[in-house]
Amino acid sequence: MGDWSRRQFIAAGGGMIAGIGLGGLYSATGRVARGEPMLRPPGALPEDGFLSACIRCGQCVEACPFDVLKLADLDQGAAAGTPYFVAAENPCNLCRGKDSLRCIDACPTAALGPVELGAINIGLAHICVETCLAYNGTVCRACWHACPFPDRAIRFDEMLRPRVHGRHCIGCGLCEHACPTDPRAVTITPVEYIRRHNDIQHNPGHQGGQEDGVEHGVGGGEGRGEGRGEGRGEGQGRRRGQGGGEP
Amino acid sequence: MSKPPTKPRTRRGPLWYRRWSTYRRLTAIAFLALLYSGTTGAFERYFRGSTSGTKILEVVPLTDPLAAIELSLASREFQTTALLGAAILVGFAIVMGPVFCGWVCPLGLTLDLNHAARRFIRKHVLKRRRLEPVPKPVSSETKYALLGVLIGFAFIAGFPLFQIISPINLLVRAIVFGSLLGLAAVGVIVAMEWVWPRLWCRALCPLGSFYDLVGRFGLFRIQINPAEAGKVPCKQCATRCPMGVPIMDEYTMKGARSVTHPDCTRCGDCTEVCPRGVLKLSLFPFPRKAAPATSCNPHEGDCECGDIPLPVMPGASG
Repeated sequence: MGDWSRRQFIAAGGGMIAGIGLGGLYSATGRVARGEPMLRPPGALPEDGFLSACIRCGQCVEACPFDVLKLADLDQGAAAGTPYFVAAENPCNLCRGKDSLRCIDACPTAALGPVELGAINIGLAHICVETCLAYNGTVCRACWHACPFPDRAIRFDEMLRPRVHGRHCIGCGLCEHACPTDPRAVTITPVEYIRRHNDIQHNPGHQGGQEDGVEHGVGGGEGRGEGRGEGRGEGQGRRRGQGGGEP
Repeated sequence: MSKPPTKPRTRRGPLWYRRWSTYRRLTAIAFLALLYSGTTGAFERYFRGSTSGTKILEVVPLTDPLAAIELSLASREFQTTALLGAAILVGFAIVMGPVFCGWVCPLGLTLDLNHAARRFIRKHVLKRRRLEPVPKPVSSETKYALLGVLIGFAFIAGFPLFQIISPINLLVRAIVFGSLLGLAAVGVIVAMEWVWPRLWCRALCPLGSFYDLVGRFGLFRIQINPAEAGKVPCKQCATRCPMGVPIMDEYTMKGARSVTHPDCTRCGDCTEVCPRGVLKLSLFPFPRKAAPATSCNPHEGDCECGDIPLPVMPGASG
């Protein structure tokens, strides 16, 4: 008995030292297993904090009444088991729960924290002028109708062309879901993608959106990739040129 | 003269003697069904979550204690809800012992059923009647080392590694959320079971080692009846034990009245094979015996202890 306890604690202590070494090694190699940027639920911490605070229990996924949230699989590396959503398939409906949004209410950790509706920062909508109907002579207001902040996040210019205003856009993806073109002209770029590629120090709130500029409507047509299937993967390739061209 | 010990066994019926394995499988299946019901809209508000963390009736949080520790270390923040849920389970484990492993864990259920299938095939298909000792390729202390590794890693690297790669979570995510990639890891572990039975639970599972550490003095455990113990050294309990715990050794060496081996998962298999009712799975120990058990030789006919009518499972005779 006593013998057993001693051996166990020696083993645990030795293991802890080894774990500290391995953790240092992992940190030194620059977090290799980091997954692709994806659209997180509203109220999520910045990506690194989110990955360390998310317990991967899936309660937010189950609490989501529209089955928007999904659980990342093992191919996402360190992000496996964390919630995400694909805006083109099923956008965030920003549904009210008891205290905050439903997924935020369900979260047992600090990974999803209570947030004002306007301060949510999931990502940023981006309109591709090459495929957008309104930029090509057709009257289309699908994104504007879907937007929870019409005339603030999406505004029309004098030619009735939609423009995204980063100060108000929260990245819910309703516009992307509503966009009638194929591939979709409006896509949501995850904040994590913007942070990695613009190297903006990002806090929950709107710093990222503000710095990322108001002129998203016409900013990034040239960097566009070919097809858009999943929304996450292709979204990156498309944004790369745009991100470089930003201030 | 003494009755043959088979008679009371048959009177009880096989279901009664298999009751612990039935109960523990039923609780594990019920837990899994609850987890699955969380994905349906109707039951989501009653029971929600997975093995990492659940919430019951929107009020009571239950959190995998190892997950809560990893999280708090990784995020360097006191995660109140998670730690509260963990405290409930740790408190339960302190009182009841590491019952999670044998009675709740979905991976434990899988490996248990797999082990039963392996035993059945060995006995009835391969016709190997000879009992084999449990092979132990890896020392049981490995799981404590792995526990330490995970905690140290979570603190330095800043993310809860075990919540990502834990086969328990992978299995639950595959069943409840349909993340099928993780099933490969579970498949590897199940395949290993056919060579080394219960290797994961006995030697590798860090969550099991955590529950072992906190539930060492839990009350719900295998109790040894001192009035019956040590008369027939048949060793069927130790041979049957899926973890290879030498169940009666503590009794014969030190006179222990219960099994406190750290590998014991409180599954109750040993009570089912014991021919003399020496063992029971209970919160309460057997009453202390009046006379020492070794006072007479049970193989002699005039021995006093030979006349004991052998109620095989004490407390339920009659």
